[in-house]
Amino acid sequence: MGLNKSRPIYEKLRIDPQGRAHLIVTDLEALPQDTIEANLALSNIEIWVVARIARGIAASPSGSRAFRSVADLLSHLSFHLAREPVGLRLYAAGTEAFLWDVANTARAAGLGKDEIFLTQAGSLRRRVYCTHCKSMNEDAVANIATCRACGARLFVRDHFSRRLAAFMGVMVDAEVPNEIPEIEVIYP
Amino acid sequence: MNITLKPTETFRGDFSTRNSDAAILRFPFPFPEDVYMYAVNIEPHVPGGPTEAFTAAFDIDEHYIGECHDRALTLIDDPARCQVLPHMMEAEWDTLELLMESLAKDYPTLFTLTKDGDIWRWQNHPLGIDQTFSFGQPETLPYPPFEYITRQVQGDFTIQDHRDNNLYMDGGMVTSQADWSLNFDLGMSFHEWHGPVPVAHELGVFDRALAYLLRLQYGKPVRRLNWTLTVNPRLDTSPENYPLWGPDKATITPENIREKMCLRVELQTLTRLPRSNAILFGIRGYLIRLEELVRVKKYAKRMHRVLRDLHPEIVEYKGMPRYRQMIIDYLAPFDDGEILSSGTQPDQTSL
Repeated sequence: MGLNKSRPIYEKLRIDPQGRAHLIVTDLEALPQDTIEANLALSNIEIWVVARIARGIAASPSGSRAFRSVADLLSHLSFHLAREPVGLRLYAAGTEAFLWDVANTARAAGLGKDEIFLTQAGSLRRRVYCTHCKSMNEDAVANIATCRACGARLFVRDHFSRRLAAFMGVMVDAEVPNEIPEIEVIYP
Repeated sequence: MNITLKPTETFRGDFSTRNSDAAILRFPFPFPEDVYMYAVNIEPHVPGGPTEAFTAAFDIDEHYIGECHDRALTLIDDPARCQVLPHMMEAEWDTLELLMESLAKDYPTLFTLTKDGDIWRWQNHPLGIDQTFSFGQPETLPYPPFEYITRQVQGDFTIQDHRDNNLYMDGGMVTSQADWSLNFDLGMSFHEWHGPVPVAHELGVFDRALAYLLRLQYGKPVRRLNWTLTVNPRLDTSPENYPLWGPDKATITPENIREKMCLRVELQTLTRLPRSNAILFGIRGYLIRLEELVRVKKYAKRMHRVLRDLHPEIVEYKGMPRYRQMIIDYLAPFDDGEILSSGTQPDQTSL
């Protein structure tokens, strides 16, 4: 157990036996098997993935469904949860920003903390919030990111907001322009 | 309390603010010992303490008008410095009531509160405000209640919701912060918003502090001091505006350090609110230039010892590697090695 800081601690995906139905969503093209400890053949489990192709894939009888993009999936999720009676358990597996987008969508739809389960999987890349211009920057993999909205070079602080589903980015060379530490890929 | 308010002062641009002799002698110096380390240094917030700054529930001093003006300027640039989540409306009224009642009681010549049932009249004489409104009805005020009153009080404020055996920062007025962002931290739990602080997590400081605060009782507020260093007496050292104040840090030289380098102290108060059961966290900031601070002999000597022996991670976190040695070099000649009294009282009554 790590120290209790702003970084959430994630666990492997396990099916909550208290649930009546189970929806697993991921921003990957398929569920990452190495982070799952569950029997996914059960009939009351539905799986949503992101195919990243314009045509998408029609719902299959087995309850698996592919979406064109993460935004497409989140949009469907909002509608789906608004119609779902109690007893659903929602599981998200994927990048940290996706997990908290899902969690925030679910909380807005009225799901409680105990009905949402998050499992980090795939890339460690970070969504970075530019503290100066309030823009979000996706897919940062290094200690320094460039804000595509205002051009600031941002040091990615190890400080995470679940509400914004993003890490804090603060200008790295504010004190002396262009005095920038070596750029290292640390969130592959 | 007798105070003369300065009519105009700036905390940006030409930084015209200065501390009078009285302000220096009432400054809440934060180091009771020669060595500093994080601790749960919380004590009851009762009237009285090592200096006059500890006398009132919410301290007002000679910089009142200038600080309120500076806050208004910051809010024009960035209204997100004041945000309260919608479920906190009861805590907003609790805050307004607490601040108005405390100010009117502690500073009767500056503030007057008159109640006729739910119809309240608030007179803020230094700012020329005379407002009649209905308590509990936000539409009768020009701003939401929390913003309305915190625009008229020195220092930052946050309100913590108490639920799930934790505290959540669900609102705040934050325009004079030491490098943390309300817009980023809004909604975080106690350990989340303290995430970036080094060393203290490992010491268990936050676990103990949270356990203590969850038991905070109505009518028994507590206080603690925190500190950092700031270049120029600038209130808005926010991460949002780091591109504006960051360059100041590279302007420090051995020649100008006495004037430009400021010790920034936060007199933090925590008060349980009656209706919402939320906790109001007051972060009352004080800035003093080194050349003002060294006029108190004990403070010059102790400040020298604390900075000289400071834990390297704290040096880093408080953003002082660039100029720490210059401060030590400036302070060293004031320190004759004399054994100092413990505690933070100035040990002199005039300068």
